[in-house]
Amino acid sequence: MEVSRRTLLKTTAAGAGLSLAGFGFNIPSVKAAVNGFKLDDANEYTSICTFCACGCGMVGYVNKDGKMINLEGNSDHIVNEGGLCSKGASMSVIPNSDGRNLKPKYRAPKSDKWVEITWDEALDKITSKIKQVRDDNWIAQEVENGVTYNVNRCDAIGFVGGAQVHNEECYLIAKMTRMLGVSFLEHQARLCHSSTVPALTAAFGRGAMTNTWQDLKNAKAILIEGSNAAENHPMSAKWIMRAKAQGAVVIHVDPRYTRTSKLADIHAQIRPGTDIAFLGAIINYILETESYDKDYLLTHTNAALLVSPEYDFNDGLFAGYDEEKHAYNKKKWAYQLDGSGKPIVATLTHPDSVMMKMREFYKRYDLQTASNITGIPADDIKKIAEVMINNRPGTVMYALGMTQHTVGVQNIRSFTVMQFLLGNVGKPGSGINALRGEPNVQGSTDFAVLFNYFPGYLNTPNHRQQTLDEWTKDSGTFRRKFMVNLMKSWFGENATAENDFCYPLMPKINANKNYSIYRIFETALEKEMKFLYIMGQNPLVTSPNLNIVQAGLEKLEMLVVADPFETETSCFWQKREGVDPSTIDTEVILLPAASFLEKEGTLINSSRLVQWRYAGLKPVGEAKPDIEIIDLMFQKLREKYASSTEAKDQVFKLANWNYPADNRSDSVLREINGYNHKTGALLNGIGEIQADGSTSTGCWVYAGVYANGENQTLRDDYKTDPGELGIFPKFAWTWPGNIHILYNRASCDKNGKPYDEKNKLIWWDENAKKWTGYDIPDVPAATDGPNTANGQKPFRMSGEGLGRLFGGTYYDPDATSTLPRDVSYVTSDGPFPEFYEPVESPTKNILHENVASNPCLIYPRVKGFQEIGDKKDFPYVLCTSAVSEHWCSGTYTRNVPWLNELVKETFIEMPHKLAEKLGVKNGDKVKVNSARGEVVVKAMVTNRIHTLNINGEETTVVWMPYNWGFKGLSHAASTNLLTIDAGDPNTWIQETKACLVNVTKAGA
Amino acid sequence: MAVEIAMLHDVEKCSACRGCSVACKQWKNLPADITPFDGEYQSHKDLSSKTYTLIRMKETMVNDKVRWDFLKFQCMHCGIAGCALGCPTKALKKEETGIVSHDKDLCIGCGYCEINCTFGVPHVDPETKKSTKCNLCEDRVAKYIENGNDRKYMPACAKTCTADAILFGTREEMVKIANERLEVLKAKYPDANLYNVNTDDSIKGGAMMYVLPYKPSVYGLPDEPQLAPSLGVWKNAVQPAGKVLIGAAVVAVAGAAIVNTITGGGKHGGDDHE
Repeated sequence: MEVSRRTLLKTTAAGAGLSLAGFGFNIPSVKAAVNGFKLDDANEYTSICTFCACGCGMVGYVNKDGKMINLEGNSDHIVNEGGLCSKGASMSVIPNSDGRNLKPKYRAPKSDKWVEITWDEALDKITSKIKQVRDDNWIAQEVENGVTYNVNRCDAIGFVGGAQVHNEECYLIAKMTRMLGVSFLEHQARLCHSSTVPALTAAFGRGAMTNTWQDLKNAKAILIEGSNAAENHPMSAKWIMRAKAQGAVVIHVDPRYTRTSKLADIHAQIRPGTDIAFLGAIINYILETESYDKDYLLTHTNAALLVSPEYDFNDGLFAGYDEEKHAYNKKKWAYQLDGSGKPIVATLTHPDSVMMKMREFYKRYDLQTASNITGIPADDIKKIAEVMINNRPGTVMYALGMTQHTVGVQNIRSFTVMQFLLGNVGKPGSGINALRGEPNVQGSTDFAVLFNYFPGYLNTPNHRQQTLDEWTKDSGTFRRKFMVNLMKSWFGENATAENDFCYPLMPKINANKNYSIYRIFETALEKEMKFLYIMGQNPLVTSPNLNIVQAGLEKLEMLVVADPFETETSCFWQKREGVDPSTIDTEVILLPAASFLEKEGTLINSSRLVQWRYAGLKPVGEAKPDIEIIDLMFQKLREKYASSTEAKDQVFKLANWNYPADNRSDSVLREINGYNHKTGALLNGIGEIQADGSTSTGCWVYAGVYANGENQTLRDDYKTDPGELGIFPKFAWTWPGNIHILYNRASCDKNGKPYDEKNKLIWWDENAKKWTGYDIPDVPAATDGPNTANGQKPFRMSGEGLGRLFGGTYYDPDATSTLPRDVSYVTSDGPFPEFYEPVESPTKNILHENVASNPCLIYPRVKGFQEIGDKKDFPYVLCTSAVSEHWCSGTYTRNVPWLNELVKETFIEMPHKLAEKLGVKNGDKVKVNSARGEVVVKAMVTNRIHTLNINGEETTVVWMPYNWGFKGLSHAASTNLLTIDAGDPNTWIQETKACLVNVTKAGA
Repeated sequence: MAVEIAMLHDVEKCSACRGCSVACKQWKNLPADITPFDGEYQSHKDLSSKTYTLIRMKETMVNDKVRWDFLKFQCMHCGIAGCALGCPTKALKKEETGIVSHDKDLCIGCGYCEINCTFGVPHVDPETKKSTKCNLCEDRVAKYIENGNDRKYMPACAKTCTADAILFGTREEMVKIANERLEVLKAKYPDANLYNVNTDDSIKGGAMMYVLPYKPSVYGLPDEPQLAPSLGVWKNAVQPAGKVLIGAAVVAVAGAAIVNTITGGGKHGGDDHE
């Protein structure tokens, strides 16, 4: 990328020529002025922060020697306006740190040390190993019920990582691994927000945060639940405070009083794992008091659609439960259809309507029952319900406090039900804001560094989908087009209608198998996983139940880690208690990765704002950007397979893979955007995508990122904001098609008139005969008015085109095909969110004692490693999360002294009552143990957690940060030795927010 | 006329994210000062020659409910600055901008400023034997004014604030905002008050101002800040006649201070932060 295109690099001195007299100021004699301002001769470049997904703009300052001398927030940025939290503000340390990996390093089997090797040696070792493992473990076919399926797969190779790297890198890792036949492609999103995508998709049709950081300012009520936003998404505080300045009421529901609670008007302390009961009571209160938005429900949701008589719910189980399989027959959760296969629309009071089914379902969630389960006083629940009812539009902010549960998906589904009822989706200041937690985790999700998707949320082909038509049966003709375009991007001219666009070459996962990251280490433990490549992820700190991760790593044949610093994972073989290098045969290669300040490319924040990072610094030592490493690996593999005539290796010949070494990121971004192959022009948007193979796009939701032949992510107009809603349509670019607030059609009534003229966003312009407004209208076609079917599809990415309160099975018919047009996503554990206790719970499930935890759960998966603790041995509930000053595994932050002085080491927060019982004072050491492991940490005794009354019994919650491990400048025991890896049946996300532990005073 | 500037910490909005703490160290190139974990979130008990600003974090129980109060503690840049008054070499100086600046070249490390500061802010660096404290990023402030109040050049801490809690601008603007915020806060907090804003208190207001929901003592600040008793002489001698006399008064003590330093009578021997 030529930086000069945007004259981005400039000296700060430019503009300093302005005369002081011009401002009429008499500047006092300032010593700095005499000596010269620190930044006067520095080069300036913009980047984007590398922590949570606020996507804050940064400016780096580089002196003549190429050294970073300063870094601060970009004051011309729409999200942070110059601000940075403690972590972001410290990042000038990274390019200058002594701890950086400078050269590739190799650890031989049984060795206790690293040996430096060259890049050539490293890449040769890696690709030789990949080839050998791939060739030895190739699965060409599989048989199920006597039918043979081509599957083109290798389950002995795993790739992990993506949330820390750029979109272009994620795209290439997905492209390369799928060419290799890899199924085990995973990254941190699995562990943090994997439950978000299915939950939001089941309700809305898309899995992303609905509104934007800036849009928080438009809310009149903000419910922050399962998020410590002020600490872990610090820049959100700016927008929360702006809403508050306009009178918004802020509610924080959390197991602890945190720095977020300090900013809130109401704080409710909730028992971890009981959010569905709390939200169920809010929903029931809205229903009972008939405080719902009737017009919104009728116009924009499936509330008045009729449910099939086969649907049922009894004693904790929905219709269709198979006890043996721990799974439902989801066909039982359907609509009553008319002759054309469309749902029958009735009224909100029809006994079979979604609305009436919902009222019946929720009536069990009265305030007192919810109070008994959650520990929140009934009056407080009522008060919160009334705040949400009386202050609309209201928004929701949530993060891992909701996602990391065995009911993670249904936790979030509860938000969707509440917000639909209140008419709080699609409007400014409304929505459900899933606060994504890594710098590019939205991108790594978009580009499907996850086993179950292909780029653009296309289902990964499984063994029963041998042809594109078979795939289309389950995904719809609407999405088939995008799959064709993806294959065109990956195989270029070689993908033709005649060869099913090379779809048959793609690996087919086994539809019965789980390839999530948890299974990567479990498969390694079973000696089935041989080779694992990890970039920018540190599972030996961030994965749950770490003993299984360590044991799995010890059984691998080769581990490759690409990271700017040594990570715990890369050093898992190093001598420490319980680990003897001489018994570990794993070969380990540590590749020096460039830091985010040393490479270019795009990343996308939680509000889907795609932004460009410039490379203002050269990588330190021999470090390389991941994109270069991936490209070099693929080229080496292609060389090694050049002479092969085997069918499985033809992908290397057919692959469309050719990127200029001096301009990889830009070139890949163009491929992602896509081309019209008849004209050679870059696509201008999703509307230009064709089904016939004449266009390509590497990720259809990004089509238009290079509209008009210009890289839209470089746009920097931070001033233009029509409507003053914080949209800034000319600043960078959002998917899809620069729409900022998703489902904004729902901000208007049936006729396309804004519900609230004072808070309007988009509308139907009858004179111009088109949808228009301050944001790009989220409609199928801008000229299809309210009197057309397309004009009544506020949730156009769901099969019904409506918001789904009832998340039932639905195949939308395609008038021109026997295949469905689109298929609505259905969660595996119920069409309505039901409350279940965590796997390790301190109490019984008072709603249905016999179905205590999620009935679709399958746990333990591995005997001996996955014990379930009981209340009598482990009486306290442990909740875990992060501190503001350290981030995720701490690989960056624990190598920054300025952050280590703010939070020095790991600890456990406990209420005074427990401390008194244990005889523990502030700062004393305590032993914390669970059924899976134990750690010794220091105590923080606080009033910010108090004991709760749960179902009549006193219940104690303790909390620990998970950011520590045995490497880095600040090192300490990893909390994840204690946590449980039981997972939500939809996405396997682990229950790190609620497990049982015991706490005792440790010896001196 | 010189532009008088000020910083305002709107305490109710502070989330204690501590971006300000790091931004300060980054801009000033100050080393980390890692103290032992003592069971508290607050990073350091006090300011030091390595730490010019910190967030005080105080947890209390009021009517069975927990309350967590934060305050950004740093140099107050007092209207009448005890440190400058008592500085024998004029190293510390109240500038027309409102900043109390510190000229390291003039500083002899006598430590009088430590004794004379109402708030215990300056600390003599045991290694360099120079006094240290926040100078409100006066180099940045010069650029800020030079570039037409460009927020890009705000003091590092104010610029980095995530929650709109640290505001910076002309003193006039900040006083206006402080008074507006006070009106809002009063509805919820009967004790809400402005601190270091008004120029009729004994330290005549400062360039570091606060809007406080609760009494100053809640945040570890003196409810009624007074010039240090050690400055009693100066206060009485100097104040009635105004700033003109300060210079003469300082000359009078300079001799004594220098003698003090030469004879090793300075308070700080270099071990105060170990």
